[in-house]
Amino acid sequence: MSFARPRLLVGLQPYTRASNNTSHIYTALRARRLLSTSTYSRAPHGHQNPNLSSGLDERMHRHHETTPVYNAQGSEVDPYKDGPSALDKAVHLFFFTEIIRGMWVVFENIFRPPYTIMYPFEKGPLSPRFRGEHALRRYPSGEERCIACKLCEAICPAQAITIESEARADGSRRTTKYDIDMTKCIYCGFCQEACPVDAIVETQNQEFATETREELLYNKEKLLANGDRAEAEIAANLYSDHVYR
Amino acid sequence: MFIRTTGIQSLAHALKIPSSRFSGALLQQGLNERLQRCYSAESSPGLADPAAYCRELVRKHDYESYLLAAFYPKEAQGGYFAIKAFSVELAMVQDNVSNATIGNMRMQFWRDVIKDCSQGKPPQHPIALALHDAMQRAHLPAYHFKRIIDARDAELHTPTHLTIDSLTSHAESTSSTVLYLLLSLLSLSSSTLSHAASHLGVAQTISTLIRGLPFHARQGRMIIPAEVTSKHGVNQEDVFRHGSEARGLHDAVFEFATFANDHMITARDMFKGEEMGSKVPRRAVPIFLSGIPASNILERLEKVNFNAFDRRIQVRDWRLPWLVWRGYYKGEF
Repeated sequence: MSFARPRLLVGLQPYTRASNNTSHIYTALRARRLLSTSTYSRAPHGHQNPNLSSGLDERMHRHHETTPVYNAQGSEVDPYKDGPSALDKAVHLFFFTEIIRGMWVVFENIFRPPYTIMYPFEKGPLSPRFRGEHALRRYPSGEERCIACKLCEAICPAQAITIESEARADGSRRTTKYDIDMTKCIYCGFCQEACPVDAIVETQNQEFATETREELLYNKEKLLANGDRAEAEIAANLYSDHVYR
Repeated sequence: MFIRTTGIQSLAHALKIPSSRFSGALLQQGLNERLQRCYSAESSPGLADPAAYCRELVRKHDYESYLLAAFYPKEAQGGYFAIKAFSVELAMVQDNVSNATIGNMRMQFWRDVIKDCSQGKPPQHPIALALHDAMQRAHLPAYHFKRIIDARDAELHTPTHLTIDSLTSHAESTSSTVLYLLLSLLSLSSSTLSHAASHLGVAQTISTLIRGLPFHARQGRMIIPAEVTSKHGVNQEDVFRHGSEARGLHDAVFEFATFANDHMITARDMFKGEEMGSKVPRRAVPIFLSGIPASNILERLEKVNFNAFDRRIQVRDWRLPWLVWRGYYKGEF
């Protein structure tokens, strides 16, 4: 990110230290340097190599050697009494600097272009494999691609597709009914994968909300109209990374 | 011929999915308009003109085969494109489906297509219509088509091979069988030609697989048989993650390519005998020209020191049309 933040933190440290308004500077400093907060506590312990001694053990036991301080009444004085509590330190170290750091992020973003896109007019990127509203395609010459093989109907896990077919006068088999119940569809894309003629595809359109449920029961005319509208886009998306083997 | 040079290995190019795959909606709209214009300009391949559909499909997905079509006799070109489009279509099924069951259904569709075509009532699929047309003109045995479909069907379940032998038998059922079909298309039946075609098919399959290695590695498939990779201590995961830097990969590719090259040499030797006049018979030349793109890949692979991830392997060689043309007139591949 920026270099400013570490410097900000360094600049604040004298302030946090000075805020310990106590005469027992020594005890306060020692409290700050507790072994439990020190990075040395993560060093490996033990005596495998005497030359690589970290001196941790001496330091761990050093506070036992310091003679307790007694007041005039003869009772022991708590050296941490006038120092800051753990909570105070946390507030100073984290909460306060967090505010500054947070405000710095805000400040940085004043000078950056906005992330927001004006949704209905401006749209984010979609993968070419996005699976949205269905469409039935035609050949460029205008004939329907679908040959009523019913593979999509068979594979559909939600059983959302209903097909009825009959032979035409020229002997070719065509669908007379091709319905998709969009309220059942789970957009798995199996119909598209099973289709041997690339007839049924899922387009990139995701904005087909309707006011009534009946409008979501698509028939063949609706699907073909979808295909005619998005043909160029579909053809471009189908051209993905195939290799010939 | 295949001598491993000890020069500095060429730089590995990390393969990245092209950023053009993700385009904004606004861009998409502009693209739509441009594509619409392209569409209106070209002839309309579809049910009305199945041959044009097959030609477009082959041109898009198997450009090398598209180049060779010019050397077939005019009346056989339709059949050539039909057979090639059939093979391309089947080869692409496994990229189009997300699970094997869907692939099996499509294979069953193609079995039915072949059955219907041989009974003279093809379904309204451009490739089926083109195949039916080709079957009227020449005797194309249905069992060759069935063999290709069965091999592709089996490949859906086991895309990788453990031994070179199983890969060889798969290659003989796919690439070689396509060549047998082409031989039948030109009504050439000779055991020498079939034998040469079977070896050529294996070389073709392996060279195509090596060329597709980065693609397959990205999909998490190791196309080099386990027999070869284990010999060189190649770690599959290493290949998928680090590409050409994977340990032992270059050696494995070298051995795999040598195997293809051996088959290529065997296929060439078939024509060395005196009864053939050390040339491919004139009428069979177009079929055996398909060895030129394959050997071209192997030669380029040798130049980049068997680094299958080198970008120079991925791009199409600009000299290929010239090589094919020269091969046609010299009668060799």
